[in-house]
This record gives sequence, C-alpha cells and structure tokens, in this order.
Amino acid sequence: MSDLRTSIGGFFSLVGLIVTATGVVSGNRAPLDTTNVNLYAGVVLLVFGGLMLWLSRRSS
Amino acid sequence: MLDFRWVKLAAVDYLILSLYFAFVLGIGWFIRRRVTTSADFLTSGRSVPVWITSLAFIAANLGAQEVIGMCASGAKYGIMTAHFYWIGAVPAMLFVGLFMMPFYYGSRARSVPEYLRLRFDEKTRTLNAITFAVMTIFSSGISMYALGLLFELVLGWSFTASVLLSAFIVLIYTFLGGLTSAIYNEVLQFFLIVLGFAPLSILAVRRAGGWSGLGARLPEVMTHTWSQVRDASQNPMGVEVFGLVAGLGFVLSFGYWCTDFLVVQRAMAADSMSAARRTPLIAAFPKMIMPFIVIVPGIAALALSRMSLGYAIPPKAGGGLDYDQALTTLMAQFYPSGMLGVGLTALMASFMSGMAGNVTAFNTVWTYDLYQGHIRKHAPDSHYLTVARLTTVAGVVLSVATAYLASRFNNIMDFLQLVFGFVNAPLFATFLLGMFWKRTTGHGAFTGLLAGTAAAAATHGLTVAEGKGGWLAMVHTFPSTMAQNFWIAIFAWSTCFLVTILVSLASRPRPEHELHNLVYGLTAIPRDSDLPWYKRPLALALVVGVALIGLNLLFW
Repeated sequence: MSDLRTSIGGFFSLVGLIVTATGVVSGNRAPLDTTNVNLYAGVVLLVFGGLMLWLSRRSS
Repeated sequence: MLDFRWVKLAAVDYLILSLYFAFVLGIGWFIRRRVTTSADFLTSGRSVPVWITSLAFIAANLGAQEVIGMCASGAKYGIMTAHFYWIGAVPAMLFVGLFMMPFYYGSRARSVPEYLRLRFDEKTRTLNAITFAVMTIFSSGISMYALGLLFELVLGWSFTASVLLSAFIVLIYTFLGGLTSAIYNEVLQFFLIVLGFAPLSILAVRRAGGWSGLGARLPEVMTHTWSQVRDASQNPMGVEVFGLVAGLGFVLSFGYWCTDFLVVQRAMAADSMSAARRTPLIAAFPKMIMPFIVIVPGIAALALSRMSLGYAIPPKAGGGLDYDQALTTLMAQFYPSGMLGVGLTALMASFMSGMAGNVTAFNTVWTYDLYQGHIRKHAPDSHYLTVARLTTVAGVVLSVATAYLASRFNNIMDFLQLVFGFVNAPLFATFLLGMFWKRTTGHGAFTGLLAGTAAAAATHGLTVAEGKGGWLAMVHTFPSTMAQNFWIAIFAWSTCFLVTILVSLASRPRPEHELHNLVYGLTAIPRDSDLPWYKRPLALALVVGVALIGLNLLFW
C-alpha cells in the first residue's frame, strides 16, 4: 500500500513546507505565546511527511 | 481584554485547507478504479492492510463532536473524562479483538446486523438494522450541525456554506471509492488530527505551568481519575465507582465498541482473520494516548482562564460557560496563522472522518440488510452496486436535512437521542449471549432486546437527574444525568440478559450444525503460535493491558 503512504507523505511534506516557510518569513506570533510555533511545528510536519515518503519508497 | 472569540484566517490558512480538500478528493479519485463489485464498494472486498484498518478504526469514531466534546468535558470534569478511554473504550477494544472478531469475521457476514441474521433470525437482524440506519443518519446530521454552528461562531462562516461544502466533499470521495476511500482518508485524517492538535496541548499546558501548574491552579479532582469517585458528591461528574465501572466501563463501552457497525466495519474490511483481530488491538495504542491530545487542552483552558492572562472560556447565552468553545478559543490564542490553518483543517478532518464513517456504515446496512434483505433479494451484483452508490447520495442528503432539522427543532433531537440510547443500552447482552452460549435462540434475542429497551425507558421514567426523567414516578434521584445514563444502561443490560436466557430456555434451540463459525464452541478459534509475538492478538492485548493499568495508576 505504498500509494497511501505516498499521499500522506506528500500532503504533510507540502503542509510542513508551507508552515515552516511561514515561520521563517513572518514574525507572526499567537496572542498567548511568544515562541515561533510555525517554525517548530512546521519542521515536525515536514519530518513526518518525509518519513512517510521514505517508507513508501523503501517498500516499492 | 483580548478579543478571543473571533479567529482571523490569513491566506496561508486557506491554502492549507484547500490543499487538504485536494488530497482527500485525490485519494477518492485514485481509489475509484478499484471498485467493480458491490463488495468492493461496501466491504472493501476484505483487502485492507492492518495498519490502515487500525487507524481507521479509531478515526471513524473521532468525529468533530468527539474532539470538541472531549475538550469541553476536560474543562468541565477534568482528567476524569479519560475514563471514557481508559476504562471505557480500550478494555472494550481488547475484548472485541480477542473474543468477538473470530465470529464476526469467521461468519463471513458483511455487516453486524447480518451476523444477527446468521446467528438468530430475520426479525432480530431487521430490528437492529433499522435502528442502526436511522441512528447513523441522525448522529451524522447532529455532528454536522455542531460543526456548522461552531464555524459560524468562530470563523463567521455561513452555516449553510460550511455544511454544504464539507458534505459535498465527503459525498464525492465516498461516492467514488466507497468504503476503501473512506478508510484511506480516515488514516490521513487521523494523522492530521494528532499532528494538528498535539502542539496545542503542549503549548497550552506549558503556558499553564506544566502538569504541576494545572494541579496547583485547579481543584484536586480535575487532575485525578480515581481518587475522587468513592462518592458521587466528590466529583463534578456526579458518579460513583460502581456506576462508573459497570455502566460506562462495561455496558456502554462494550455496547459501543463491540457491536456498533460503524467501528466494527473497519476491522471487518481487514485482509485476514488475524488482521481483523489485531485491528482493534493495534488501534488501542493510539486510543490510549488520545486523552493527552483532546482532553488535556480542555483542562489547560480552565487553568489558563484563572490566570488573568485575558483568556477566558466564553460564557453561554443562558448562563454558565460555553465549554464547547474551549478548543477553538485555545487555537486562536496559541496558533499563529499557518498552524492555525493546520488546526482548523484538523477540525474539518475530524468532522469528515466521522461523517464518512456514518455514511459508509449506513450504506452497507441499507444495501445488504434492508434492501437486499427485504426489497429485492436476488438481483445481479451490479444492481446492488448502483443501489449502494445512490444510497451514498441519499445518506449525505438525509444527513444535511437532519442538520437543518437539528438547527430548528432542538427538542426533537434531544428526544431522539434519548430513545436511541434506550435501544442501544441492552445490545451487548444479546451479542454476548449469542456468541458464547449456543443455546440462545432468535426468539430469546428479540424479546430480550425489546425488554431491555423497555427497561431502559422505565428506568428513565422512574428516576430524576438535573430535572430530566421521572415522567412515570419519582423513585430515585441521581446526582447527575451522567450517573442516570450509566444506571439506565446497567438496568437495560441486566434485563436483556435475563429475559434472553429465560425465553431461550423456553423456545426450541437451533440445531448445532447451523451454528458453525457463529458461536463459541462450534467455531475454530484461529491459532497463531506460528506468528511472531507482536502479531499475536493475546500478546498485543497483554502489552495494552499493562500500559493501561500504568496510565490509570499514574493519574490515580
């Protein structure tokens, strides 16, 4: 079922890229928190997406 | 004071939401080629790998109402809400995987009602199929209503626009790929829910000073699961330990996770008996962790609202707090544009996975149990495939209609949910006896179900809690409606159990040769000693059991 892992991997890689880029480019912060949430969470999403893509490649 | 009520979305948030829509539709489009028979469409042709069915097993239950409601309960009742997972769902999931799946999967039934026809008779199947079909549509509609209302309140989107858009997308991907498409999308939705909500939980708890900070800011009962349940007056749920363990832990949870076709259908789609049994067992691992993602933010929200940060859970129009808004207001406080889009997409995903779960389960029950069972018995398979596709459309349209009905007539909805509760409460007794006592007969099962439902209604009529019930007489007063619900379930289950046994003994038993693969003792229980330990159901269940006890002790 490499196709589902590819879809999930593709989706989270793209979303991870967008969120990380938002974190890098804009200084947007949430009202109650001063950390750069987008940067950290974006990297996590990106890593997860990459992992899924790697798993699907490995099995095919 | 900060304006926490309105969430302002930026272009990047809309981009993420549209990307999600594109991917779910893409998955549906990709899978459409696999559908050639009604079995492909309605049962996935029993071909789905176990890691996918496992995640779909919990995702189908993880609707928007579940996510929003669990967060709300976290704020209202504290970590005691985790009882719904740690004494409710997880033990029941172990039971269905270890003990019931051999009969569900081994009987080759295509649905839970169909198992009842094979095991008992047509009338028991039809009773279960009709109540299940109606109930499914209603819960799908009510969930849709809740989501539309929330998006209207938080984002200012029009109710009609968000209801129609989300329903339309669910319709397209389930219409294209049937159950397989719904299940595959549920896996994507599951990861999105976890990755979209987990950071929120971490950020909110950190801001409130960690777990010890929550404990210091809130009454002791909010951070303990067991130490405050000796007496109902000790905790905000108003429940005591017997009602909790027997009512929630045994009757209600086993009734839902072991007999509700919505979840059982996912396991039945697995590609082998072994995979079907492992589905709920593997699903139990992430299920145990879910309280940290959906309940803990609610507790943090309550703590934060006592910290003079300018954050508060919004008040309700009729007085009190609107706990349902805890989750979305937290998002607005902790997520900047970007992650905010991911969080809202996760909320949308939870809604869609819940709705697709309802629609696909409704579809199978309508097509196989009601249409094929009663309306047209011997048509070519292509006919049933067409019926199934049309049913998908009908199911979505009826759900939308119910959502509008719910927005107009709230009382009717409350009444119907109450009645469905009566019908569901005794179900587990019927399955337990049916699967483990070969003497149980169809007449026994049917009468037992009716008697159990009547007992549930009678208990509600004779007791009062928070002004609810007592329409027959006032015999007893419960400290909360939750305690009342648990006891209604206990009485319904016991009545059904006894009546089924008595009527079965009085009626003619079915010959044993008709009961192969349906009852314990006449079914070969699969041996799995040749499998590695992590693929053996019993070993998996033991690992889950130990972790579960650990969690209960940790948050005692």
